Amino acid sequence: MARILLVEDNEMNRDMLSRRLERKGYSVTIAHDGEQGLSLACSQMPDLILMDISLPLIDGCEVTRRLKANPSTRHIPVIALTAHALLTDREMAFAAGCDDYDTKPIDFVRLNEKIENFLVDKRTL
Amino acid sequence: MNLLNLSIKRKLILMTMLTSSIALLLSWASFLIYDLISFRSLLTQDLSTQAEIIGYNSAAAMAFRDQTAATATLSALTAKGDIVGAVLYGPNGKMFAHYFRGEETLPELQPTCSQKKSYRFQGQYLEVCHDVTLNGDRVGTLFLMSDMRQWSMRAQRYAKICFVFALMSAFLAFLVSSKLQKLISGPIMHLEDTMKMVSANKNYEVRAVKSYSDEIGSLMDGFNAMLSDIQQRDTALRGANEELQTRTQELEEEITQRRQAQEELLKAKHVAEEASRAKSTFLANMSHELRTPLNAIIGYSEMLEEEARGSENSGNIQDLQKIQAAGKHLLSLINDVLDLSKIEAGKMTLHLETFDVTGMIEEIVATLQPAVEKNRNTLHVRLADQVGMMRADITKVRQILFNLLSNACKFTDHGSISVDVDRRLEDGRDWIRFEVVDTGIGIGAKQKENLFKEFAQADTSISRKYGGTGLGLAISYRFVQLMKGRIAVQSEPGQGATFRVDLPAQVRIETPDSAPAEGTSEVPSPAGAVKADRDTILVIDDDAAVRDLMSRFLTKLDFNVFAAGSGEEGLRLARQVHPGIITLDVVMPDRDGWSVLNQLKAEPELSEIPVIMVTIVDNQGLGLELGASHYLVKPVDRERLAALVEKHRNMHSSAPQTVRIPVSMSPDGKHVGPIGAEIVRRR
Repeated sequence: MARILLVEDNEMNRDMLSRRLERKGYSVTIAHDGEQGLSLACSQMPDLILMDISLPLIDGCEVTRRLKANPSTRHIPVIALTAHALLTDREMAFAAGCDDYDTKPIDFVRLNEKIENFLVDKRTL
Repeated sequence: MNLLNLSIKRKLILMTMLTSSIALLLSWASFLIYDLISFRSLLTQDLSTQAEIIGYNSAAAMAFRDQTAATATLSALTAKGDIVGAVLYGPNGKMFAHYFRGEETLPELQPTCSQKKSYRFQGQYLEVCHDVTLNGDRVGTLFLMSDMRQWSMRAQRYAKICFVFALMSAFLAFLVSSKLQKLISGPIMHLEDTMKMVSANKNYEVRAVKSYSDEIGSLMDGFNAMLSDIQQRDTALRGANEELQTRTQELEEEITQRRQAQEELLKAKHVAEEASRAKSTFLANMSHELRTPLNAIIGYSEMLEEEARGSENSGNIQDLQKIQAAGKHLLSLINDVLDLSKIEAGKMTLHLETFDVTGMIEEIVATLQPAVEKNRNTLHVRLADQVGMMRADITKVRQILFNLLSNACKFTDHGSISVDVDRRLEDGRDWIRFEVVDTGIGIGAKQKENLFKEFAQADTSISRKYGGTGLGLAISYRFVQLMKGRIAVQSEPGQGATFRVDLPAQVRIETPDSAPAEGTSEVPSPAGAVKADRDTILVIDDDAAVRDLMSRFLTKLDFNVFAAGSGEEGLRLARQVHPGIITLDVVMPDRDGWSVLNQLKAEPELSEIPVIMVTIVDNQGLGLELGASHYLVKPVDRERLAALVEKHRNMHSSAPQTVRIPVSMSPDGKHVGPIGAEIVRRR
C-alpha cells in the first residue's frame, strides 16, 4: 500500500483529501505545517508527498527545497498544491523542485491520475 | 577738412567774409591797374614836353657846337627829381653833352634812337628820344630817362589805405554776417535741438517750430510729419506691447494652471494605478480565499456522491451533483475574474509553443461533450486537411474556443453547433481560422456592441436564465488581441450566431526588435528575437569532472564555454548569455534536467536554443518530446558530440521546431501539467 504524506494546514481540505485518498487505497499521513511535514517526510519516507504551498512556519516551497537537497529524500515525488492560480506560483513551485503542480480546488480524478503515474513509475523501475 | 567740420554758423560767417573780401580785392585791383595806365600816359606826356623844351633850348648850342651852353641847359633838369639822366647826341650819334642825377652813371645808356620821336618803358624806367632841330634841320638827338619812383610811392600809399579799409570792411562783414547767418543757422539749430530732445527723451510729442516757408521750413514740415508718424507708430507699438504683456501674463497664468492640472492628473494617475494594483492584489487574494472553501465544497460533495453510489441512498446523488456543478461554475467565474484582473494589470503573458491543432480541437470537443448533450444539441467538427501545426499560447487558444463553444451550447437548444478550422494565407501571412456556428437564439444589433466588453452581458435577463459573468467573451477578445489575431461575430436574433477567430499560425511576442520583421517571413523565427551567440555553449551538469571534460573538449572546437553546476544556475546563465547550444544533464540535485528543459522551452527567449541532452538516463523519447534537439547517453561519443555542435553552429536558420504535446488538461481548459515525466508514463 502506497504511503502518501499530505502537508496541508486547512483542516477541511486535509480531512476531505485524506479521506478520499484513503478510500482510493492509499495510506495517508498528515502534517499540519511545513516543519511537521519536513520531519515526517524524513522519518517516514513516504512514497509521495502532496505539498500545500501556503503553509505556516515554513512554506511549501522551502520544505520541498530542503527535501530535494537531502539525498535520502530527494527521490520522493512532490506534487505542489496551491490555491493561487497565478503563473508565478507555478514557477515558484517548479523552481523549488516540485515534480508536479496542481491548483485548488482539487480535481480529484486528475490528481489521482498524477499520483498513480508517479507511483507506477516507481514500481516499474 | 577741419573747415568743413565747422558749424554752419561759422561757415556762413566765413563764407560772407571771404566773398566780400574777394569782391573788395578785385575792385581794388582794377582801380590800381587803371591808375597805373593813366599814370604812365601822364608821365610819357610830361617827359615828351620836357624833351621838346630842352631840345628847343639846346638847339642853338648844338648848332654852334657850344658844349658848355648845352650842358647848362641840361643841368636845368635838376629841378625835375624823377629824371634820372639826359644825353644830347650829335648828328653823328656821338655824345655831345649829358646830365646825370647824383653820382649815377648809365653805362647801358646807349640809346639807338632811330625814330624822330619815341618812348619806351625799360624796367623801372621810361626812356624818351627827341630830335633836336633848328630851322627845320636836325642838329642832334636828345635822350631823356625818368624813373617810376613816384608811382611806386603812390601805390604804397594806396596799399596802406586799402589795408585799413579791408580791415574795416571785414569787421563790418563779420558784424553783418553774424547777424544775418541766424536766418539760416537759427532754424537748423532749432531743428537739431528738437531732434536731440526727441532722441534723448524719446518724446515724440515735441515739434519743430517753423519760422519761414523756405527749404528749411519744408524740412521742418517733413521732420514734423515724420515725428507724428513715429509717434503714431510708437503709440501703436506701445499698445501692442501692452497687449502682448497682458497676453503673456494670461499665458503664464494658463501655463501655471495647466501645470497644476497636470500635477493633479499625475497624482490622480498614481492614485488610480495604486488603486488598480490594489484591486489586482485584492482579486488575486480573493481568488485564493474563495478557492479554499470551494475546494472543500467540491471535494466533500464528490466524496459524498462516491459514497452514495456505493450505498442504497442514491436519491442524494443528483443533489450532490448539483452542488458540484454549482461549485465548478463558481470556480470558473473566479477564474474569469482572475484572468481579467491579470489582463488589466498587464500581467497576462503569452507562453508560446508549437502544437497540433487537430489534437487540441479533439480534446476540447471531448471535454465539451456533456455540455453539448445537455441541451440535446449536435456538434460537428470540420477540420481542413492542411491545418497542421500552429505556434501560439495553447492554453489561451483553448480557452477562447472553449468559451465560444460553451456559449454556443448554452444558447442553443435542440440545434446544431459546428466548428470549422481552416488554414489560409492572407496579406502574405499564415492564419488559422476557427469558426463556431450555432443555430441558437442569436444576438441583436444593440447587444453586439457590448459583446466583447467586460461585465456587459447581452441582457441582464440572460444572466438570470443562462448564468455566467459575461466575462468569457471579453477575456476571449483580450486573448485574441494579445496574440495579434481577430475576432468577429455575425448574428441576427433567432438566426443563430457565427463567431470567427483568426489567429496567426505563428504567433510572435512583440518586442521592439522583432516588430519590424513581422509579416516578412513565413518561417518560424526565434520569438524573443534575442540573437543567440552561435559560438557559445552552455554546459549544465552537476558533476564537476564532466563539466571540466566537456569544457576542455568544446574549447578545443573553438567554442566559448559556460558551465553551470545546477539547473538554476544553468537557467540563469542561459538568460544572461543566450548561448547557441545548451548541453543538459538529467540527474541533478535541486532541479533535474527535465524541469530545466521544460523551463527553457517555456521561455520565449530561450525556447529556440537547441538543447542536447547528455545523460546517463536512457529516455530519449521523453527528451525529444520535451523539446530537446538531440539525446546523447553517457559516456558520450566525442565525435558524435562534435558533429552535433558543429551542425548547430553552421546552421543559419532556427533550430528545428520541436513538437510539444499537451500533457494534461483540466476541464476548464486552464492548467497544463508541465512535467514531462507524465507524458511518457501515460503512453
